[in-house]
Amino acid sequence: MLSNIRKLVHRITLYAAAVGMFMLVIMMFLTTSDAISRKLFVPIPAAYELNQYMLAVFGLLGIAYVQQTRGHVSIGLLIERMPLRTQFVIGSIITFISVLVFSLVIWWGWVEGIFSMKAGTASDILRIPVFPFKLLVSVGAFLLVLELLLTLIDNIRNALSATSPDKEIEA
Amino acid sequence: MSPFVTGLVGTALMFVLIFLKMPISFSMLITGFLGILFLTNVEAALGSVALTLYRCFSDYALTVVPLFVLMGALANVSGISGETFQVAEKWLRRLPGGLAMATIAGCAAFASICGSNIATVATLGSVALPEMKKARYADSLATGSVAAGGTLGFLIPPSIGFVIYALLTEQSVGRLLIAGFFPGLLLAVLWMGSIIVSVRLNPGLAPVSLARVSWKERLYALRNLWAVILIFILVMGGIYLGMVTPTEAGAVGAVGLFLIALSKRRLTFHNFVDSLKETSRVTIMLFLIIAGALIFSYFLSLAQVPTVLLGWIADLEVSRYVILALIIFIYLLLGCIMDAGAMLILTMPIVYPIIRTCGFDPIWFGVICVIMMNAAMITPPVGVAVYVTTGVAKNVPMSTIFRGALPFLIAMVLVSAIVTVFPQVALFLPNFMR
Repeated sequence: MLSNIRKLVHRITLYAAAVGMFMLVIMMFLTTSDAISRKLFVPIPAAYELNQYMLAVFGLLGIAYVQQTRGHVSIGLLIERMPLRTQFVIGSIITFISVLVFSLVIWWGWVEGIFSMKAGTASDILRIPVFPFKLLVSVGAFLLVLELLLTLIDNIRNALSATSPDKEIEA
Repeated sequence: MSPFVTGLVGTALMFVLIFLKMPISFSMLITGFLGILFLTNVEAALGSVALTLYRCFSDYALTVVPLFVLMGALANVSGISGETFQVAEKWLRRLPGGLAMATIAGCAAFASICGSNIATVATLGSVALPEMKKARYADSLATGSVAAGGTLGFLIPPSIGFVIYALLTEQSVGRLLIAGFFPGLLLAVLWMGSIIVSVRLNPGLAPVSLARVSWKERLYALRNLWAVILIFILVMGGIYLGMVTPTEAGAVGAVGLFLIALSKRRLTFHNFVDSLKETSRVTIMLFLIIAGALIFSYFLSLAQVPTVLLGWIADLEVSRYVILALIIFIYLLLGCIMDAGAMLILTMPIVYPIIRTCGFDPIWFGVICVIMMNAAMITPPVGVAVYVTTGVAKNVPMSTIFRGALPFLIAMVLVSAIVTVFPQVALFLPNFMR
């Protein structure tokens, strides 16, 4: 059951990140074409604002994928000297705090997005509305919280199973 | 609790979280949030977190980061790093420690088209290390030169180290990138010099190669450098002459390397996707740290920490060079336990105002900072470049690699000293820019 949920979550975050990576490829070709056509003919209008939006998709949708690959750098120097069980207990607490704060970000990202929608804020040239991209803060945080919940479950499970003292010595 | 004390407590809390292995980005974001919450109210705190996340992730100035990282990933796919080593090897092989020098030279050449470095260590190392093993070089010299050489990507432009510094300090990315060129070259030359000296002192480190390399062979090998030269001229030439912005240069470089990798038949769909995945991981990790740092420094400025600290510094009756030496010392210490990029981003909100108050040139200090980032990658116990080298040099203990990298670390401190005494080394080129 849990392993199916885990697979599903990993797949969703990977696909979300893949959308962002696709945006990066477009950015690379769009910006090159803009640089060339600006020298030879005329600049591509709105390359600037398109890049900003695409960067938001690339970055915000990728945060959870980075968590999936444990790519957010951390310092394990001190904690790795502690008994295994303590490590997992601390890990659970740390992850729980992260889940709480990023859950608040889901909520407030939504509030800010809806606020921009009502205000009708849009980009300068193409008049693309800002709110869908602001809502990505909420979406990105939601995906991150899903990944963090998986990490939290792992930590709690490990903390519970590492209770017997011999296991600590083993590690 | 006065705001200043709140600021100090917040900073302490952040370090506690970091040492409890919370990701650095999360630690900064969360303590920043809690601090703003404490000093203002829920709406302001949540608003600043959500809005900073959006602003940071949609900041056009940041576009250059993924593009530079992607350049490096594509350059690795196309096998250019191995080629630069082979060219250097033909020219330097007969000198004392020639293969180790060729490793440095190859890394320097590769660094001129690559914005981040870590992957270089793996690809160039897998070519250079077997060669050095065959020539019976000491493990410490062989692996040390690979680990140190790999860090050159951060100093020799294009470099994401300078991009991040520019972003945090609102300096010109182009000027900073150009400023890194001569110090990077100087560092590479000094490293090669230190290899000669250590081999002269201890000939057992590297047996002299007797195999002759004809001039014809040497000159013929140069043809392999076309891709490096082409991309370097397009990217750095374009930036220097003001033809393209750094972001455009990154895009042009990435497209160029994409085409080169295609033409060499090295690029498959699979490794293109891998390059994109690596780019996502490196870039987004950095973006989130930057966002966290922006939130955290907003909290610090609400708590008036920089103002109070600067007041103290201004009252200090010491030479500004003492303060600089102290900052460099702290960077060397932090670099031992921290990731280089995270270290720069974490400290900049406090260090940069101090540097400006002392009247140091911001571009010049960027160069010093990036050299410190290089050092951070090879200082024990946490040194990314050494970790990656361990992956390539199987059977060599990590302590040997750290020991082998030590002479290179000393040369880095020396280069910082030279750049401090003669700032022109860094500032000469950017001062000529339009």
